[in-house]
Amino acid sequence: MALGGYANRIAHVDLTNGTVEYRGIPEDWARKYIGARGLGVRYVFENGPQVDPLSPDNLLCFMNGPLTGTEANMSGRMAIVTKSPLTGTVTDSHHGGWSAARLRWAGFDGVLVKGKAKGPVYLYVQDGTVEIRDASEVWGKGVHDTVRFFRERYGEKDLSVIAIGQAGENLVRFACWINEDDRASGRGGTGCVGGSKLLKAIVIKAPKKMPKAADLEAWKPAHKNALAAIMHEQNITSPRKGGLSVYGTNVLMNITSTMGALPSKNSMLTSFGPGAEKISGEYVKEHILVDDPTCHACPVACKKEVEIKEGPWKGLRMESLEYEPAWSLGANCGNDDVNAVAKLIDLCNDYGVDAIETGHPISIYMEATERGYTNGDGGIAWGDTMAMVELVRKIAFREGIGNVMAEGADATAKHFGHPELAMTVKGQGIPAYDPRGLKGMGIGYATSNRGACHLRAYTPAAELGVMPFGSLKVDPLAWKGKGELVKIFQDVHAFSDSLDLCKFSAFAEGVQEYAAQYAAMVGVEFTADDVLKAGERIYNLERYYNNLAGFREGSDYLPARFIQEPSTMPGSQGHVCELDEMLAEYYAARGWENGVVPESKLRELGIID
Amino acid sequence: MQVNFYATLRPIVGSRTVQFDVDENITVQQLVDAVVTRFPRLRQELLNDNGDLYPHVHVFVNGRDAPYLPDGVETLIQPGDTIDIFPAVAGG
Ligand code: SF4
Repeated sequence: MALGGYANRIAHVDLTNGTVEYRGIPEDWARKYIGARGLGVRYVFENGPQVDPLSPDNLLCFMNGPLTGTEANMSGRMAIVTKSPLTGTVTDSHHGGWSAARLRWAGFDGVLVKGKAKGPVYLYVQDGTVEIRDASEVWGKGVHDTVRFFRERYGEKDLSVIAIGQAGENLVRFACWINEDDRASGRGGTGCVGGSKLLKAIVIKAPKKMPKAADLEAWKPAHKNALAAIMHEQNITSPRKGGLSVYGTNVLMNITSTMGALPSKNSMLTSFGPGAEKISGEYVKEHILVDDPTCHACPVACKKEVEIKEGPWKGLRMESLEYEPAWSLGANCGNDDVNAVAKLIDLCNDYGVDAIETGHPISIYMEATERGYTNGDGGIAWGDTMAMVELVRKIAFREGIGNVMAEGADATAKHFGHPELAMTVKGQGIPAYDPRGLKGMGIGYATSNRGACHLRAYTPAAELGVMPFGSLKVDPLAWKGKGELVKIFQDVHAFSDSLDLCKFSAFAEGVQEYAAQYAAMVGVEFTADDVLKAGERIYNLERYYNNLAGFREGSDYLPARFIQEPSTMPGSQGHVCELDEMLAEYYAARGWENGVVPESKLRELGIID
Repeated sequence: MQVNFYATLRPIVGSRTVQFDVDENITVQQLVDAVVTRFPRLRQELLNDNGDLYPHVHVFVNGRDAPYLPDGVETLIQPGDTIDIFPAVAGG
């Protein structure tokens, strides 16, 4: 391959036959789809959109981008790409930490897994090779014990373990992969696909060996400028000064609640009132914060490690009390006990279920209880933390009502006879922004190619006025212009997810910085316009995949609650989400026909010849 | 009048809520002036060189960011209004 920067080595693992082959990346694919998310989607597309997600034929990709594991800031991200058993769409879910960098240092751009093993296995990755090894000793264990087992076996030094827990083994549809105990590739049920293949873990042993840029002269200023942007940004990313660095992602809890944009009690409300403060980043810092961990090559250090100081879970330490899961298992379930929130997130990580998704079937059960819909299924009160702990276990082991909930929010709401209680898009639960108070999120959720998602188009950056150096600020309650805005965000993020840089880089860096780093690393000419074009191509390929998988006209929707039930809380009172208006704007900007990519667009972007 | 502070502003003012001894019927801008007079370190966090609120700073009146109210920062604060001041915050 003429492009520099890449390892140009992908391991193709066939678990049915027990074989591993090593191949380069088709150069045309690397140029068009960059890496990580984009390239992973290209491989999944090649595997066919009709595949049953839980059949051996589904492809599970662990993908790096051309900047992964390099000196580039925030470049410790890995994308896990597959067809989702939760949504039926293509999905990609990213995690931080060090496993992505170590996969690159071991000599790989990616590991593609197909087939189904005869018994439980893990992949051992070291020095340019991938071996399939017996995992029967760890099958049945939670993520924490699995990580501990491999650390004891292979030594902690230079080791990363990405594992599924019991939820993945039991085919919970929103089971996930957890890296190094706390970093989740949470969304879309990628861990369920791992479980269906009897794949328990990826164990990577690799000392630091940073790849060099193809154009070293160009790399130096490109890297320096990107670093300066992060360090000097002042408000968000600036180390130990910006809100993200000081308080972590949970710095958002108070503001979204204040402005009527925090979906609470299964989105019946748009604010959690005084409860928000009690589970907020500010509260955590004042009461239970013990450390500020980071990821590979990141000066921001937004991870916040906490230790519970009292009560039944005293002594528990964990580092993923993030805004999204704290919302899902907190405000969304009427739970304002921060210790319980920490415990519940840690349980989700140990069982290996998406902590954002897990709050959905639970809050549905709570609302169904309040409305008297549960019939013979007992009930659970808002904020009953002990019952929540037990429910998470039941979901992971598919016990009793947990067996229904393990199928996802839509199945749970249907079970109670009220599908309207599911706050989902394409089967995936919404994250922590109410589209009645942050309208860009509404069109973002509806048109996300992986089901409801905040990370495809992080419009709060503009709606809260935190674009790099105040370059754009829009009214969160206005809908006009949001369709076009979402398209741009989706394209930019599709590119950064393919590099693969942490999404939070976008609070300081822009398309210029992305283009300069990519160009220098792989040794090509690349402009800001090229960034947007590549992002658009990736987004359209995903949409084309979904169209072929059966998502046609009318597939971009929101739960009726956001469109028909006006907010009753300050900040957004009286507002609904004007989805239809934004959709029209969005489709016009995309050049799509009611959610379907026309052939002319596919040709224009070079997706088909 | 009670004002709530968040995130990196909180360590500067020393608590979540601060009571300000100001006249009734003041505007948002006048309240912000009173805030930076009492806590001079907040000036550089909230205001640009022209003395205007930074676009990333939020002064909410009952949950609505003041610049989006019909009278913007000239809005008269009413008795019982809830005032919340945030620096730039983001994550997700
Ligand atoms: S900003 Fe946070 S999540 Fe992103 S790379 Fe840095 S520490 Fe990791």
